[in-house]
Amino acid sequence: MEKENEIVEKLKNFLKRNLVRTTVPKERRIFVYIKKDALRHAVKYLAKDLKFKHLSTITGVDLGGEIEVIYHLAYKGSIVLSIRVTVSEKNPSVPTITDLIPGAVLYEREVHDLFGVKFEGHPDLSPLLLPEEWPQGVYPLRKEHELEHLREMTSKK
Amino acid sequence: MSHGSIIKVPFGPQHPALKEPENFLFEVDGEIVVDVKPRIGYNHRGIEKAFELRTYIQNIYLAERICGICSDAHTTCYTQAIEELLGVEAPPRARYIRVIIAELERIQSHALWVGIAAHEIGFDTLFMYVWRDRETVLDLFEMISGNRIHYAMNTIGGVRRDIHAAMVSKIKKGLDFLEKRLRYYLNAVQTEQTILKRAAGVGILKPKDAVDLCAVGPTSRASGIKNDVRADDPYAAYDEIPFHVIARDGCDVLTRILVRCEEMLESLEIISYALDRMPEGIVRVKAPVKVPQGEVVSRVEAPRGELIHYAKSNGTTKPERYKVRSPTLGNIPALCKMLLGGYVADIPIVLAGIDPCFACMDRMAFVDVKKNKEWNWTMQQLRRKYAKK
Repeated sequence: MEKENEIVEKLKNFLKRNLVRTTVPKERRIFVYIKKDALRHAVKYLAKDLKFKHLSTITGVDLGGEIEVIYHLAYKGSIVLSIRVTVSEKNPSVPTITDLIPGAVLYEREVHDLFGVKFEGHPDLSPLLLPEEWPQGVYPLRKEHELEHLREMTSKK
Repeated sequence: MSHGSIIKVPFGPQHPALKEPENFLFEVDGEIVVDVKPRIGYNHRGIEKAFELRTYIQNIYLAERICGICSDAHTTCYTQAIEELLGVEAPPRARYIRVIIAELERIQSHALWVGIAAHEIGFDTLFMYVWRDRETVLDLFEMISGNRIHYAMNTIGGVRRDIHAAMVSKIKKGLDFLEKRLRYYLNAVQTEQTILKRAAGVGILKPKDAVDLCAVGPTSRASGIKNDVRADDPYAAYDEIPFHVIARDGCDVLTRILVRCEEMLESLEIISYALDRMPEGIVRVKAPVKVPQGEVVSRVEAPRGELIHYAKSNGTTKPERYKVRSPTLGNIPALCKMLLGGYVADIPIVLAGIDPCFACMDRMAFVDVKKNKEWNWTMQQLRRKYAKK
């Protein structure tokens, strides 16, 4: 776990107060909680300086009132660092990272589709997974939508 | 050479023969692709929502059904995620069986793909030969699990069936046969003009683009990027089994075929090694139904590349959140890059090159940008129109 702890130390020194919490649950896994404003700053540092070049995916999680956006970055394919920010459910937005990691382009659209998180500066946030006739403002992976509710909504023609 | 008119040609979205329908809107200038817009989701089944509504046991069956070809990769990823949350460890013999099943699956998946690639370039003889030989693996699956696909071997805490001594000799016989055939195909791929003419220098993905666009699996390994979850982030028994990560730097469709053929040969070695050194003992341990609060990131090298699952548990019998990212989604940005600047005629083989199980054309819509008119043709109408010419 030496390498993992070294990475955590470097991040702590770099992000200082913007870093909320880190955990290293086991070998090759790091979880990092940061403040939203530091996201681009942190991703840039991770991708350029710490060689976390590979973005495995972006996960959205509904925490109830808040939405968590988790970026799973990999170091040389080996260590997965999940860096996360939380945004309010009413006006969820985070800056895009597509200019820092071009591979993020579809993952951001996916989270936008399913959780309604707006990625500021993304070149094209048109629907990726949901059909064209999908009702506006309905984000199916949010907890407020029961399955039955979604079924009713989409079966109505 | 520009003729001044850019035509939009939608590809897809659905075809019953393939498991993952995708729609691509191509902008073509004459014969050259100038823009690609992926529009996926035609088969979006809401599996992640479904995970939240089912118990951890029911979700094994759901995970099995995310993919029809690499079902084992998904259950391996799922079960090892839940095992980590529970603090349960699969017994050593189970971990070896997981490797054996995963590598058998890789062989049948790659063989299926080589057949499809051959079909896409109009080499149907190769397609039929490879698929005939692929049956060997499916028969082995039937012997081990009772099923040719959806083998349902994994469960939380281990595997559901043991591989007995009597099976081992039969598996080895199958491996010997496959090795002969695969060496033949590897040679054919490198010498047969039908393949070389259609695949060499087509669908280029430069190493830098592969990294920037976060490509995974054989797609990135054919661009010289040596990433393989089995080696980089070992799971099951991969840390105890020596193997080579196959990478080549040809960056084209031909290299993608070669990498997959060599990987199949490597898989044979892995299976053979694992069969010889499988530890004795039980194949599963009991696991509790309730999963304590926690979160976990689980990764597996599926046949198509890095597969990642994220699980969050809340102390009940159902997950709070379950996220799945299959390798195909990871390779779509890289695929778009490969298609740009290529010929329209190469679209099918380049699309097939990432092994996406892409949707063939059921219908096409033609858009004339200037006249702003759009119309659809069925495959039958197209055939009628062009068959005579």
